[in-house]
Amino acid sequence: MSERPGCECACASEKGAVPPPSFLRRGGWVLLALPVWILLYAVNHRISEWAAFGLFKLTPKSHLGEAVAFFFYDVPKVLLLLTLIVFIVTFLQTFVSPTKVRNALARRAPGIGNALGSVFGILTPFCSCSAVPLFIGFLRAGVPLGVTFSFLVAAPMINEVALGMLFAMFGWKIALIYAGTGLSIAFIAGLVLGRMSMERHLEGWVQDALKAPAMGESEEEHLTLAARIAEATQGVKDIVGKVWPYILVGILVGAFIHGYVPESFMAGLLGKKTWYSVPLAVAVGVPLYSNAAGVMPIVEALLGKGAALGSTLAFMMAVIGLSLPETIILRKVMRPRLIATFVGVVALGILLVGYLFNAIL
Amino acid sequence: MLIEVFGPGCAKCQTLEKHARHAAEQSGGDHQVVKISDYATMAIRGILSTPALAIDGQLKSQGKVISSDEIAALLKG
Repeated sequence: MSERPGCECACASEKGAVPPPSFLRRGGWVLLALPVWILLYAVNHRISEWAAFGLFKLTPKSHLGEAVAFFFYDVPKVLLLLTLIVFIVTFLQTFVSPTKVRNALARRAPGIGNALGSVFGILTPFCSCSAVPLFIGFLRAGVPLGVTFSFLVAAPMINEVALGMLFAMFGWKIALIYAGTGLSIAFIAGLVLGRMSMERHLEGWVQDALKAPAMGESEEEHLTLAARIAEATQGVKDIVGKVWPYILVGILVGAFIHGYVPESFMAGLLGKKTWYSVPLAVAVGVPLYSNAAGVMPIVEALLGKGAALGSTLAFMMAVIGLSLPETIILRKVMRPRLIATFVGVVALGILLVGYLFNAIL
Repeated sequence: MLIEVFGPGCAKCQTLEKHARHAAEQSGGDHQVVKISDYATMAIRGILSTPALAIDGQLKSQGKVISSDEIAALLKG
């Protein structure tokens, strides 16, 4: 009799003690982290004002005061948004592997294939160092060259993190415009490039690799919810750990524009009425290498100073979508003529988007 | 066992190679770690995203850096 309660107690405490830590370890901590995130995001504005005007005793409305307040406000804001967005995006990405996308695109007819390729390009996990194996892998599996191009254009151009940041910072309309125009460019670029039968402009070794027989395929993995959450957490650590210097630079540039650049100057340079504003934005954007999160503070400051939406979007797309490092990597598989056509078609698409939105908005 | 690490040489690929070497040492036995950075080979092996890892010719993971513990578990069974 005396042993029973002890046993029951032990069993109960074991049962009671095990679920909480394993629930947390299985990803339940996310539910606890969310309120903390919301609280930080809510108090950020007040803290930043206090830091700039209270702690550092700067004068509101002065150049330096406004620039410093922008900096203190944007650093936590962009980092918080980035953390949440990367988490959600990486979580969703665990459902779409490049292998699944490749199988879905194999032997698709032009048109529908280009449309699917563009849409998949938004969400597929993709880093520029994977561009080459992915490119060859797609072609080997029978994905048409044009469809592969739609994918390759959409993947960097409609950056999933940029999309999330635009939505959070500027509302759904601008996010939708960004996604819609990016998809159209990817769709049309792939369709055009597919028509031009550019296969012979692939490097020789690529053409050989396309003919070589396959050696084994990977097995599709099945992930638990806990594994997906763990992967999303790792994604946040990797990406936020890697991009914070770009964000800092972006926010410094944004803060400078916000505090010091006069509105009339920016409205003249990147305004609707300036005919060269769009090509100027693209020309400045292409050699700049940053990432989605790093450009956002600059976009924020430009729009705040009266730059036209079309020119600003063109600038952003040029920075994210047409990056020099990726072009250099793709040069390994494409002969100069093909790579020039690729860059040319994408740049043309961005210019059109810029002019279109400057005209209609 | 033969552990192959595929990657063009970016930071992630080097981390995965380090994890693979660590796992091979930890688990004892006769393991060999090979780094493959040739794109043509990756294409033939069906690799779409790097870094990737294969054990005895079987592709086990791609597109992410798995930990040395995970690699050790793969070596066991």
